[in-house]
Amino acid sequence: MPWAINGRMTKKLLYKTQQIYLIVAIVIFIVIAPIFYSVSRWMYINNTDETLVDYKVDFIKKMLPKIHEENIISWNKYNTTQQIIPYYPLKGDTIYYTTYFSEIEQEFEPYRELDTPIKIGENKYIFTTKIGLLESEDLMISIAILFFILIALLLIVLGIITNKISVKLWKPFYENLAQIEAFQIDNPSKLLLKQTTIEEFNRLNLSIEKLVQNNFIIYENQREFVENAAHELQTPIAVFKAKIDVLMQRSDITKGQAALLESLNNSIDRLNKLNKNLLLLSKIDKNNFSKITSFQIKEIIEKQLAFFKEQAIQKNIDIKTYFTDAVNITTNKGFTEILCSNLLLNAIQHNIVNGKISIYITANKLTISNTGTASSIKSESLFNRFSKTSTSEKGNGLGLAIVKKIVDLNNWTITYSYKNNLHSFSITF
Amino acid sequence: MKLLLIEDEPELAKSIQLYLNGNEFICEWAKNFSLAIDKISMYNYDCILLDLMLPDGDGFEILKSLKKLNKIDGVIIISAKETLDSKIKGFNLGADDYLTKPFHLSELLVRVQALIRRKQFEGNPQVVYNEISINLVTKITKVHNIKLDLTKTETDLLLFLIGNKGRVVTKSSIAEHLSGDMADMLDNHDFVYAHIKNLKKKIKLAKGDNYIKTVYALGYKWEND
Repeated sequence: MPWAINGRMTKKLLYKTQQIYLIVAIVIFIVIAPIFYSVSRWMYINNTDETLVDYKVDFIKKMLPKIHEENIISWNKYNTTQQIIPYYPLKGDTIYYTTYFSEIEQEFEPYRELDTPIKIGENKYIFTTKIGLLESEDLMISIAILFFILIALLLIVLGIITNKISVKLWKPFYENLAQIEAFQIDNPSKLLLKQTTIEEFNRLNLSIEKLVQNNFIIYENQREFVENAAHELQTPIAVFKAKIDVLMQRSDITKGQAALLESLNNSIDRLNKLNKNLLLLSKIDKNNFSKITSFQIKEIIEKQLAFFKEQAIQKNIDIKTYFTDAVNITTNKGFTEILCSNLLLNAIQHNIVNGKISIYITANKLTISNTGTASSIKSESLFNRFSKTSTSEKGNGLGLAIVKKIVDLNNWTITYSYKNNLHSFSITF
Repeated sequence: MKLLLIEDEPELAKSIQLYLNGNEFICEWAKNFSLAIDKISMYNYDCILLDLMLPDGDGFEILKSLKKLNKIDGVIIISAKETLDSKIKGFNLGADDYLTKPFHLSELLVRVQALIRRKQFEGNPQVVYNEISINLVTKITKVHNIKLDLTKTETDLLLFLIGNKGRVVTKSSIAEHLSGDMADMLDNHDFVYAHIKNLKKKIKLAKGDNYIKTVYALGYKWEND
């Protein structure tokens, strides 16, 4: 079970980090992409303009001294990107965008053009030179695609690395978490939290260990107190009981005194049972589970059934058994006997006259259901010590606490349900 | 019959002595370990009632001393310790029975009787009360020499009542005696009444006397009028 929780948690934590990464990446992309585009474009145009100026300088330096007015027509004929056109008023170098119709592509294509006034002979002319921007558009698209691929690649790599790192970094955390989840205060096996190289985890481990240790000491003191108290009570109870036995033998007891004695006797019996149960409760721990045997749960029920059937006669309770499967369990037999007898006693004690008890053994489950006086019982406090739910003066409120403890130490589960006027306790082995 | 009670709690010891002392038994008391060792080395007892936790020694050591002295006294451990380990240890060291405190004195009495019978009669032990006889091996009960058809529980009940003859036994002590290990799981003691009624009826049918008297509010008493 802890692993299932673990798995879910791993996913959740990772999912959160990856979600944040993804959002950040998208935001960055949306903001960066237009800036990147404008900057690259600006740089390209800048570069183009410089080239145009270079062409112009080159032309003025090398070509212009050689050109005469009569050569202009042939110059224009042999040069496509550099032309000498009639003069129009122009202050100096002017660079601008323009389009030309391309015969090949059959469409207008963008150009960057530089116009500058020149003088050939006595007349003023305009020198114009242009560079096609179509290539730059292609380049821009290529760069954008490259940019996009790069970002996507970065994101994927980042995701994988985060995943790997997270799993690795959080591994000791989850291992310790599983341990804490499986930890039982009445189980002497110590909590061995894994030391990590991460300071926060070590701090967490340290505080948990401290917390557990404190609780363990408190629990152990309490358990010892209950055990010692119950032990010490045994002698006065024994004396009390013996005195009543002796007192009863007197021949001069009146009816009134006899009634008082009877009530004293009943009370001391209850006290004795309560004390025995307290002692038992303090004794049920992992240490006493060393003697383990394999046996059928059916055996135990059948052994106890004769006794409980006799107890049930007084209330005319009908006990029926439905043993469909042979359920074999391996544990301490003595405690399992106590478990079964407590459940059966519970079913009789809280039953009604002419009631019913059904005992089912199926698959890996023991279910004991009975008719009862009370309607559904609040289940959260049901297994607590001394939580009395019915008005019955029988029972001391420890029976189910004992049952729960034995179930817990075996890592079984017990559930209570109330359906069709039947109280059912189910133990899954 | 001589009994030795080794018990450090004086009030409990007094009550046990009061209950057991009678025509059948003389019960001596040793209140500590050293007194107990003195007594067992000097005298022979039919049965020793031994408390395991003594202020000046371990009850198990007394069992060891008995072995060393080659004594064959029967021993019933009466202890507040209820662990399986202490029971096994006691039996291994030669104890014959183990009774956990607190107990009913009537229970202690029948345990002592049973132990002494086991030790003394090796052939065909019988419990006889006037016209009633119970064979302890075959568990056959006869009234006026006619076999009585009793259930196991009824035979146990009869033996318990005869064992405590002349004493008042409570319904709860009978219920606990009949339930054995399951005594702690008793819901009520009413079933005792049904067994008493059946037993009375069967004895009456066999022309036996009615020895089982009901004592108001307290329980029952096996008594010869």
